[in-house]
Formats: sequence, C-alpha cells, structure tokens
Amino acid sequence: MGVITEEARLWANREYPSFDFEVTATDIAKFAHATGETNPIHFDKEAARASGYPDVIAPTLFTYVVRMHASALVPVDQLEPDGSPSADVPPLPTRRAMAGETKVVLGVPVLAGDTITVTKLLAEMYEKEGRSGPLVFVEMEFTFTNQRGELVARENFTRIYR
Amino acid sequence: MSALPEVGAEAPIQVRTPTALDLFMFSASAWLLHRIHYDTPFTVEHEGHPGLLIHGPLQGVYLVQTAERWLGDRARLVSIDYRHLAPAYLGDELQCGGTVSATYEEGIEVELWVRKSDGTLTTSGKARFVKR
Repeated sequence: MGVITEEARLWANREYPSFDFEVTATDIAKFAHATGETNPIHFDKEAARASGYPDVIAPTLFTYVVRMHASALVPVDQLEPDGSPSADVPPLPTRRAMAGETKVVLGVPVLAGDTITVTKLLAEMYEKEGRSGPLVFVEMEFTFTNQRGELVARENFTRIYR
Repeated sequence: MSALPEVGAEAPIQVRTPTALDLFMFSASAWLLHRIHYDTPFTVEHEGHPGLLIHGPLQGVYLVQTAERWLGDRARLVSIDYRHLAPAYLGDELQCGGTVSATYEEGIEVELWVRKSDGTLTTSGKARFVKR
C-alpha cells in the first residue's frame, strides 16, 4: 500500500485562488442546449420575466460550468496529456481520472448578468485497493457565491484516479 | 397547486442515448477538456476503455432533469447527491428514473438512477425537493 507519497500528501488542504465567472445569456444557452433543456426560461428573457425572474435563469447544475472554467481556462502548457488541468492533478502514479461522487446543496439561482465567484479546496486524499489496482480518491470542495454575496451552491466532489 | 407525489410514486422513465455530438457539446459548454469524452484513439489506447465515456456530470444532469420534469413547478430542488458506479459509453442507451423515498412536512426525497438497457446501474443518487 501507499501510492500517495509524502509529496502528494502536501496537496491536501490546498486552497486555490478564487475565480470569477461573468455569466452571459450565451453561456446559459450553450449549457441548456448541450443538456437538452427546452424550457424557454433558459433562452428567452421575456419567458424568464413571465416566470418572475429578472433575466434568463441557468439550469440547476450550471455551477459545473463555472467550476470547470475555474480549473481549465489556462494556457495549454498547463494541461496534462489527457487534457486535465495540471493544477488539479496531485503527483500520483495513478493517472487515469474518473468522476466519483458529487454532493450539491443549492442556494439562489444563477441568472444572466451575475458574477459567480467560486472558491476551491483540495480537501483530502485517500486510497483503496480496487479490482485492477490502487484507487486514489481526491476530495474537492467548491463554494459558489454571486455578486451580492448570496450562496448559489456548495459542492463536494470526489475524483478517482486509477 | 397539486400535491407532491407520495412515497413509492415513480417518475416517468426518460431514455437518453447521447451521441458524439451531445458529448462534445457538453464538454464544450463547460470547457471540460478531458480527452476521454472526445478523443477515441486516446481513450481506447491510453485509458483502456472500449470507447468514449459519457460524462458523469452529464448523467448528474439527467438525474436532475428526470425529477424536475416530473415535479415541474410543484417543487424546487434543494440538494442532490450522486455516485457513479459503472462507466457508460458512447452508444449506450441510458434509462433514467426515480422513486419518492420519503416525504416531509416541507417536501420530498427522491431516489434517482441511471441504468444501461442491460440493467447495469451507472449512476445512483438522492435529491431533496421542497414545495414551492
């Protein structure tokens, strides 16, 4: 046992710089089309207003778009060969990444025109023996707030390296 | 305002069979650069998969949509937890469903799942909704 080296362990409790995402109606429409949403409140300002929102509203899990940009909107030389942002990948012998578990608590919705600030913490790492060798679990914590300081979402996400 | 469903009530099953175009659009909309969702030679030769992977977070969206399309304006999602249990690949037909597992004064809890047509569970989750 022990694929998590001392060097990798130093990545635990690592806080990343916060990232601001200025949300446009275009960003919302892209994600909505990509996920097969058809409700006009995601595309049409008038439809959103008729439902009581001041502008188009993002689909529920739009915060995923925000946190991916926070990680991956970097120069190409800061990406791993598999496309992962290098800053997200602790020095582990297990390099193949997969999504594990996600826990999201929702606050106020995201609207076009919002600026969403995401803070990000690599909380901890642990390993288990899988069928095909060691698995390393990396737990991330994200907090999303809008320009008024209101909580939009908290997310705990576990990435698995095999 | 109609009442929320009772324990045991089931959401209509939604069948989703994402194409390569759907996978690309999801990656592009999120600026998700991971090759296992668009680069087939890399995914097969370097990562040992039989084909492109359907994103875990896209399956998370399917869970949310299955419940939201069912409950409509009756309830608002306040939290969701989900885990990926087996990989889903381009070409797989995914069936998405859910069952009310608990009711509360303020709302309901719904167990949600994504299965392949052979029955393999790929994603399983639990969501809490409150009445609007």
